[in-house]
Amino acid sequence: MSVGHVARILEDNGIATVIIAVASFKDNLESMHLPRVLLTPFPVGRPIGFPNNKAQHIRVIKAALNRLNNVTDPKTVTTINEQYFSAPSSSK
Amino acid sequence: METLNDFKNSFQNGNRMDLNFKFFSHLTDDEAADFIEELLARLGTSLNDGRLERIAEHIVQGQTRAYSRPAKYNYEEGPFIRFRKNLSETKIALLTSTGHFLEGDDPAPLGVPNMSQQEAVNRIKEFLKEKPVLSTIPKNTPVTKLKVRHGGYDISGVQADQDTAFPLNTLSILEQQGHIGELAQFAYSFVGACSQEALKKEVQQEWVKLLKQQDVDAALLVPV
Repeated sequence: MSVGHVARILEDNGIATVIIAVASFKDNLESMHLPRVLLTPFPVGRPIGFPNNKAQHIRVIKAALNRLNNVTDPKTVTTINEQYFSAPSSSK
Repeated sequence: METLNDFKNSFQNGNRMDLNFKFFSHLTDDEAADFIEELLARLGTSLNDGRLERIAEHIVQGQTRAYSRPAKYNYEEGPFIRFRKNLSETKIALLTSTGHFLEGDDPAPLGVPNMSQQEAVNRIKEFLKEKPVLSTIPKNTPVTKLKVRHGGYDISGVQADQDTAFPLNTLSILEQQGHIGELAQFAYSFVGACSQEALKKEVQQEWVKLLKQQDVDAALLVPV
């Protein structure tokens, strides 16, 4: 919720925002009518991914940042198709 | 005799304290029993094929069930910028609610310098009444100088690799690769378990000013 409030005030002051959060927070984030949210199907406390899986972290962050100029409507919440224990094979 | 309810609550603030499973306390007895039964079944299957993804999926499902309850903040509308800049020309700041700070710049929550993680966990209800403090972290900070303390989530993931929730290094790589135009000189972090009213009324405009001073176009925000 804290970050949702920050997103709203930043966006209101001309700074575009994108949130990466674990999927467990979906209901709370959707109810806050936020500009752009990327959900990850990962355990709480590890929203970017498995420790030291740099390729996975890059995929997640690229997907989130791409939402900055791809999203044309507010309140867009999407979930990335990733596996927490995925092999660190490709950053795409 | 310990009841199932005692068992569920013991992960949040009892003798089994483990914030990975504090969500148990939000499940009904039946839900908790079903969760454990299914967890054991999946563990048995994983003993045969060594695959752990089904375990992670089950934990995520349990957390989702526990945290899916009527939201406290419901907004019918919200601000939205139609952002048209190319990412390769965009200056981005990182801001998280993970409780990171720079070594030597401890925010000393509740007036306690060098508070331990355990004390933060024990005093989480006091944190929820406190005005949040934003820590400023230079983007070239070595990982050995990066500290974290937050009584609301299991910090072992970020202790193993800060980028699991504070992806400063990953953003630096994307800056070096030219995927983003520039990573702002400073990243920011605070303890998200804080007074929401103080956050909304007392500090947010200061935080906007900090990001404006860096002339950023966009912010990547990461809650835990």
